[in-house]
Parts: sequence; structure tokens; C-alpha cells
Amino acid sequence: MFKVSLKNILRPGFAGGTFKSGYRFQKYWDTPMATAFFCGETGAGLFIISMLMDFLPGIIFGLLITGVGKTFFHLTHMGVPGKAWRAMLRPDRSWISRGLWGIIFFVGFGSIHVLEMLFNVVPAGLEPAVYMLAIAGAMVVVTYQGFAMSHSTAISFWSTGLMPISSMLYGLLMGASLVLFLNAFGFSISSPEYISMVGLAQVILIIAVQICLFSLLHGAKNGSKGAEQSYVLLTKDFLARPFLFGVVGVGGLVPLLILLFIPTNFIINLIVTGCVMAGFYLFRLLIFKAGVLDPILSPADIFKR
Amino acid sequence: MTRYGMVFDVKRCIGCNACTVACKQENSLPDGVFFTRTLSAEIGEYPNVSRTYLPTICNHCEDAPCEKVCPSGATYTRDDGIVMVDGEKCIGCGSCAVACPYDMRTQIEETQITNGLFGDGNLTPFEEQGYSRFECGTFTKCDFCSERVDGGLDPACVATCPTDARVFGDLDDPDSKVSKLIRDRMGRQPLPEKNTRPKVYYID
Repeated sequence: MFKVSLKNILRPGFAGGTFKSGYRFQKYWDTPMATAFFCGETGAGLFIISMLMDFLPGIIFGLLITGVGKTFFHLTHMGVPGKAWRAMLRPDRSWISRGLWGIIFFVGFGSIHVLEMLFNVVPAGLEPAVYMLAIAGAMVVVTYQGFAMSHSTAISFWSTGLMPISSMLYGLLMGASLVLFLNAFGFSISSPEYISMVGLAQVILIIAVQICLFSLLHGAKNGSKGAEQSYVLLTKDFLARPFLFGVVGVGGLVPLLILLFIPTNFIINLIVTGCVMAGFYLFRLLIFKAGVLDPILSPADIFKR
Repeated sequence: MTRYGMVFDVKRCIGCNACTVACKQENSLPDGVFFTRTLSAEIGEYPNVSRTYLPTICNHCEDAPCEKVCPSGATYTRDDGIVMVDGEKCIGCGSCAVACPYDMRTQIEETQITNGLFGDGNLTPFEEQGYSRFECGTFTKCDFCSERVDGGLDPACVATCPTDARVFGDLDDPDSKVSKLIRDRMGRQPLPEKNTRPKVYYID
């Protein structure tokens, strides 16, 4: 439905072929990378929310989603997966590198924290340090992908400070939704106060995500020509249907209305979590699809012909 | 200190793409991989329409975004300003390709190497020799024909251009041809708003 097909690339203004001047789609970060980002933010968000409540099942699932899911899809995407370790060599300049260190800290210290919760393996006095390092790693993982996208000015739509914010908001929203789902599924949260608190956080986060999406589109509409093209793609062109119906409608408005007007139970939790998850995954996918590079040179503009 | 750069004279370019072919030959580039392209653009409306050709190449930016985002240190800048890729270190993550505003990074895919230029898997001796420099999955780009430059020659695209639309030289030498062209004919860098400070200039 929203595949970047040759027909779409070759429409006026877009240079699908290699020898025409015009807008170009970024094509190197696609579904595996979007899925890796989705897993990273979901896992880290679930971990952070669960850590705040000492919710062990959420902590374990968060670690697994990031440690296994994200790693798997990153390796699937990578051209030379055998050399993946090299990505940790330049944390001084690359957000990908910093993110890898974040994953190592997150999964490493998160796992030690789980062992501590289960078997008390950490020496007395070191528990707070392990806890803080795991949370710090998770905070890096939940935001670094946004920084990696906004770091470069190549794709104007991505080059905004809203990218890491959207990453964090979506990550925490996924975390809150999955915690409530796991609780309804039988992994009970120790204190009932936490459930109402996370429920309220979920509603606030859905609203915050929608405001962030609106700001992102608003900035793109009034940004450079490349960003404007991304805005048009997401709101009027072939990506509009999945974005407006999927990301904004199913991923935001539907769960918000359900949470505001229908009393929660297991089925409602399932529907809301499914909607939020689908919306977030579509968001990740479409943000990559809508990445447009400005024309290398516009002779009409540059040379005033 | 030497700082290599290139000037494209858009008025002289006739869009013959001899540069593209020379580059492919010099660098043994597989099918679908281009380090340089001459883009065409139609300007104006009927009946006042003209076609302009825009040679493009890696801009070897002073503040190269591809180098900044590379997590493995595969992309680096030589002392003479040429931005290089070490294929041995590249992990194929694609962050350089996403960070380049000029779309000048290309991934070497396995099928491009194994299928060969004729697409039947039978590599010519030229391909067998040339493809050995590439590792599948890595990203690559123009290096201003660094081996030719080190030997005192111009890059292949410059040497081939029949109209002298491409000029290569030292940007730090005020008497070099590139410096004079940029100074006298108001050389413009591509996408200056991206703050990458390209070492490639366009004159008209």
C-alpha cells in the first residue's frame, strides 16, 4: 500500500533514475532498521517503566525485546554483520556507536539487576549503582535513535530536535501500554496504585505523542523544500493513508477515545496495546519511507536562469 | 598545505557522460554503482525550454557528515582533504549513506559482484581483477582517484572530459586553476545550507 514503488519515485519532481536532477528518497534504512528501532525503543521504554515499579516480568521482557529483537534486526540490516563489533569504536562522534554502548550498559547492568532481584547476587552497597547504570543505558537506548536521525542535515525532515523526543515518548508509551497489558495478562503488579498511575501516564503519553507528531509535520511543512516534500508525502500523497489512518488514527485517536470513554478490562487492554503498537511500528516505517533528500542542485534556483 | 578540490563548469558540460564511463572503468565499478553522474534538468516552459547538465561527484566535504556518523571509523579524511573509505573497517550500517545530502554513497551488493556486468554470472577478466577491491555489503564512494592523484595524475573523470568541464586542483594554492575559476567566476558549492563545506564548486 505504501511501498516506495518505481511509479512513485518517478513522478514529477522526484529523481528515481540516477541521471535526473530532483528529490531523492533515502533508500538504505528500510524495514529491518525500522523494526530494530521499534524493538529498541519498545524494550527500553518497557524496562524504564517496569524498573520504576520493580515489575520483574516487564524488566525481563524489556531486556529480551531489546537484547534479542533489536540486535537481530540490526544484524539483518547490516551489510557486514560479522564486523558489527566495530560499531562501538567511535562513541566520540557517532550516535550509532554511542547507542551500541548504551545497549551494552542497558542489557549488561539490566541483567545483573534481574539476577539481584532473583538471587541477591550483587554485593551490598552496589545495588543503587547497578540500578542507575541500567536506567542510564535504557535512557540512551530509548533516545539515541532519534539523535542518530536528527544528527545529520541531509534529510531535512529528520533534522529536528523532535526526533529524539518522539523516540522517547513513543518508547515510554509502549512501555506503559505493555506494563498494563502484562498486568491484565496475569503478571500482577505489586501495588494497585501503580496501575492507575501508569494508566494516567498512558493517556498523557498518547496526547504528548500526538502533539509531537503535529509539531513534526508543522516543522516539515514550513521547513526546507525536502522537508516540505516529506510533509506532502505523509499528508497528501501515497503515504498519507497509512500515516493518517494508521499512525494518527489507529495509533493515537482510537486508543485515546477507548481509554477516556470505555472502562478497562483485559480485552480493552489488548486492543489499546495492539493499536499503540501498530501505530508506533507504522510511524517508524513511514518516517524512513518519507525521508527525502533535497535536489543536489537546482539550476533554476542556483544559477537564476 | 594541499587541499584538493574540483570545479564543474556547467556551461561547458555537454552531458556526454564520458566521465561516468571513465570512472566506472578506472574503479571497476559493478553494474548499478556510480561514483560520478551527470544529471540532466529541463528548465523553463514551452516554448522557452533548455536542458542543463549537472556533473555530480562526492564533494569531499570539509565537515563531512559521512565521517561524523561512521561508527566504525571506516570513513576518514586524508591530510590532502580527500575523504576515503576503508572497506576493511566498513560494517555496512548505511549511516553514511543516510547522512550524505548528495546521495553519493553506494552499497556494494553481493548480486552486483556475482552476476557481473552481463548478469549471467560469468565475470570477465577485467571484472575478476577489479571486483577484488570490494567487499560485499560495504559502502563505497569516489576517492578522487586517490591512486592517480598520488601519482601526479588527474582523476579519471577529469582526464577524460572532452570539454574541460571538470577541473581538479589545490584549493589552498591561490594560483591554481581551480582557485582562479572559483574566484573569478563566483564558484558555488552544492547545498551550502547543509553546512558540510564541500570542496566541489559549480561555475556558470
